[in-house]
Amino acid sequence: MSEKALALWKDWRLHVIVLGIVAITESIGIFKIPLGPGSILLLPMLYAVVIGLALYFTPLINDKQSINAEPLVFLSVSILIAKFGVQAGPALPQIIEAGPALLLQEFGNLGTIFLALPLAVFLGMKRESIGMTHSIGREANLALITDKYGLSSPEGRGVMAMYIFGTVFGSIFIGMISGFLATVTPLHPISFAMATGVGSGSMAAASLGPLIAAFPEMSETLTAFSGVSNLISSVTGLYMSIFVGLPLTVKMYEILSKNKEKKAMKGSVEYVKKH
Amino acid sequence: MLKSIKEWIAVFMIIGVIMLIGNWIGYDVLPWTALPGIAILIGISLTGLIIHRLLPFQLPSIAYIGIIGLILTIPGMPGSAQIAAYTTEVNLLAIATPILAYAGVSIGRSWFDFVQLGWKTIVIGMLVLFGTFLGSAVIAEIILRFQGII
Repeated sequence: MSEKALALWKDWRLHVIVLGIVAITESIGIFKIPLGPGSILLLPMLYAVVIGLALYFTPLINDKQSINAEPLVFLSVSILIAKFGVQAGPALPQIIEAGPALLLQEFGNLGTIFLALPLAVFLGMKRESIGMTHSIGREANLALITDKYGLSSPEGRGVMAMYIFGTVFGSIFIGMISGFLATVTPLHPISFAMATGVGSGSMAAASLGPLIAAFPEMSETLTAFSGVSNLISSVTGLYMSIFVGLPLTVKMYEILSKNKEKKAMKGSVEYVKKH
Repeated sequence: MLKSIKEWIAVFMIIGVIMLIGNWIGYDVLPWTALPGIAILIGISLTGLIIHRLLPFQLPSIAYIGIIGLILTIPGMPGSAQIAAYTTEVNLLAIATPILAYAGVSIGRSWFDFVQLGWKTIVIGMLVLFGTFLGSAVIAEIILRFQGII
């Protein structure tokens, strides 16, 4: 962060475009799409990510802006984290009371292993599925898998695919399901606020936004819990992957792929018997 | 280090202005009403980034930033009520929109990699996000109910 970083603030084209995106999307405001018993909330931030992405394919944005934007995401996320912090302080007694839930919900990250891994194996993925489903696949997980298996290994290709998927589609997808799940399931908004800490900073913003828009009267509490959950994940997330997520995924993968082989064997034996 | 600090301050001022304008257009808070709040948030972020550079621990900088914000606003800390009141004027959604605008511009470069992923990866990816998010919420719900908090 020396020579290259020094040009960041000077990229006026980028800042003016972002200001333009903000002005347009904030003037559009929130749209609510009823969907069955719940609803999907479309927030300015969701239009912002789509417009930003679309502008990349116009002459307005070139690679220089796109490269500069990345550290700017990090720096603007740090303001969001500061906001999380100042909302958490006044709610400290509540947070301490809910401490066990906040700590243990980290194990919810294992939900991906029980949902996504079986599907990946079913769809015919081999060891790629370990990299894909052991975690939500952000920077720390990418580093972990690269360190352990190498980036060109099947596991490495899997985590890289998930990293790319999450980078492009993560905040859009989680932003749409967060409000919908909170309005359609019987789970309490506070539980979902704790779940917003699972991914990257922009995913946290995208998933907390619809919760606040759907339950404005609880906005301070939801922000506080989301913030503390983010804080806990940022400190414990990697260790969770190292000691629980990854070993469990590897074990589950071995069991699942053996079962699949057995079934395939059984199928071919029956096929041979029949004919 | 000094170069970085100057750079951070310049960037934070630009981002801060964008956030103030978004906060004004979208949430009807006048920029000068939200100015002290955004200045405090920037101050906290900056302090966190600097501490992260100075301390040898392997903690991410956002951990320091979050902890500083939390400590400053614990009830009973001098000025905590003031800090909490000022920062309330900066709407969370107004902070989030520029983040995702920068993110959108930044992910453009990954688009061509993204379209090459194939439908299986996309389906699995959605299930990974869905499973992780819902898994965390379900566990939180069970424990909060067990404790009688909700």
